[in-house]
Amino acid sequence: MPNHPMPNLHPVAPAAPIAPATAPRPVALELRDLTTVFPGDDGPVTVIDGVSLAVRAGGTLAVVGESGSGKSMTFLSALGLVATPGRVRRGEVRIDGTDILHQPPERLRRLRGAVISMIFQDPLTALNPVFTIGEQIVEVLRAHQRIGRAAARARAIDLLARVQIPDPVRRVDDYPHQLSGGQRQRVLIAMAIALSPRILIADEPTTALDVTVQAQILDLLADLQAETGMALVLITHDLGLVAKYADDVAVMYAGRLVETGSMEEVFTRPRHPYTRALFRSIPRLDGPVDEELPAIEGQPPNVARLPPGCAFEPRCTVGRGRADCCTRRPLPLAGDRSGHRSACFHEDLPDRKEAAR
Amino acid sequence: MRYFRHPGFLIGVILLTLLLIVAVAAPWIAPMSPLETDLANTLAPPSAAHLLGTDQFGRDVLSRLIWGTRISLQVAVAVMALSLSLGMVIGAVAGFFGGWVERVTVSIIDILLAFPGFLLALALVAARGSSLESVIIAVALAFTPRVAAVMRAVVLTIKPRTYVEASRAIGMGTMRLLFLHVVPNSLPPVIVVATVSAATAILAEAGLSFLGLGVQPPAPTWGNVIADGQSFLASNPLISLSAGICIAVMVVALNLLGDGLRDTLDPQMRRSSGRVL
Repeated sequence: MPNHPMPNLHPVAPAAPIAPATAPRPVALELRDLTTVFPGDDGPVTVIDGVSLAVRAGGTLAVVGESGSGKSMTFLSALGLVATPGRVRRGEVRIDGTDILHQPPERLRRLRGAVISMIFQDPLTALNPVFTIGEQIVEVLRAHQRIGRAAARARAIDLLARVQIPDPVRRVDDYPHQLSGGQRQRVLIAMAIALSPRILIADEPTTALDVTVQAQILDLLADLQAETGMALVLITHDLGLVAKYADDVAVMYAGRLVETGSMEEVFTRPRHPYTRALFRSIPRLDGPVDEELPAIEGQPPNVARLPPGCAFEPRCTVGRGRADCCTRRPLPLAGDRSGHRSACFHEDLPDRKEAAR
Repeated sequence: MRYFRHPGFLIGVILLTLLLIVAVAAPWIAPMSPLETDLANTLAPPSAAHLLGTDQFGRDVLSRLIWGTRISLQVAVAVMALSLSLGMVIGAVAGFFGGWVERVTVSIIDILLAFPGFLLALALVAARGSSLESVIIAVALAFTPRVAAVMRAVVLTIKPRTYVEASRAIGMGTMRLLFLHVVPNSLPPVIVVATVSAATAILAEAGLSFLGLGVQPPAPTWGNVIADGQSFLASNPLISLSAGICIAVMVVALNLLGDGLRDTLDPQMRRSSGRVL
């Protein structure tokens, strides 16, 4: 992940670099002003609001935020997988400079898996129980390529070996229920990388697994990334994983991006009050033992009834009650030359000590 | 074979195999013609010549039952094939694609389900005239909405499963999702419905024949044999009783087969299955 010198496999000039230019690698995936709405009782509800992001080839972007902040929905939208009645209202999803969202459905289907792929949170339910894992990998290959069953099966065994399933020649005929959770996630990774996609989106890939397996799965993803130079999007709420694996970080709140930047920048100098509060709420081994852990007061807002100004304003120790925060939405992501940006009017002000209501 | 470790399934398979052999070999194993009357020897009690006796026209009851197996099996297989193929397609399309297609289909299914199946079959036979084909078509059409309703309900539970979404996210097309994920995972409950409907189809054929609306006499069907024996229940109960037992055996065999298939087709139930008959 960081510091893997990768050859420029796809020498396409980045259209508008949003991520910091820490490496001279081309942008593999770029979201521009992506906006997704669902119909609600009082008109459409904007669940993803103007999200713009970029991931470089060979780079890892971590997307963090609370449950319901729109992390997963952002990338389901990017893949054209928003379930009806939701729909993407605005925005572009560019891969190597070409917008994929406005392609005909069949072309978009062929891009999924082949160019941009995704793995999901729960490996226990993400495999079909009635077919062997080999048959399921074969079907992925056959959905995209003209390939005979025998050749596809040989490829499936190769893929199982690549994701470090022991004894793949025998395990290829196992049913999902014969595998452990970690092994099933490996099988799903094998299916997702079967066609060597340039971008892999991992939606909380280890949330359902125990901690030791978690590290193995993420190391596997890092190894595969080093081999292939694919871009990785890691959707997570585990800031420890972000620190270990990410190059860049994007923080989401209520369907909006509140801060983006390189991992080092965001971790050492978090700007948005929400990001700062997030870091304060992590328990520290060297912190005071008898003090209560600071938590962010209040509840994440209902995206159907967001305040007119900043979505974080009611919980913010800096901006709560301030006229500008209450009435105007901060322009998305103003920032400096390093590419570290945040959406806040008052990011230079210190946090107030008083407890929120 | 794991299937044969399931005692219910095993019994069902053995019974149905025996019935199938009887049906296929009817011309050779039946002691006499099912149609040959012997007016000198009507309503005879069981004897060496007539193991189950004779009916009011002196026909050999055992031979009529043996030939009747053919018709019953034919009805069961044909009804199952017709109602399954129609019902599964209709239910899968309605459940998987949703939208107005689903609303229209569900309305039609609900209207058809409002009629008792037997009444619907009765009306269809009355309209088409009674013959083996119209019995099959009528009973199959009466069962199709049931299969479709079950299929749609099952598809609705499968559609949102993670493996369907995960496959979509790696580029599987609609048809592949339908035939790889939706149809195989919907089979267990649909197979149970199908075997029950095959059993009910046999009952429906017998019922229609009994009422004189099914396969016309003198054709040897179990329903006709029951109808023939009905007037002599007090003096010669064996005629109706033996036909009734045939129907019961076939219905039980089909139900055992259905239960066994349901248990063995589901890989997660493979180890726990087969204890309860």
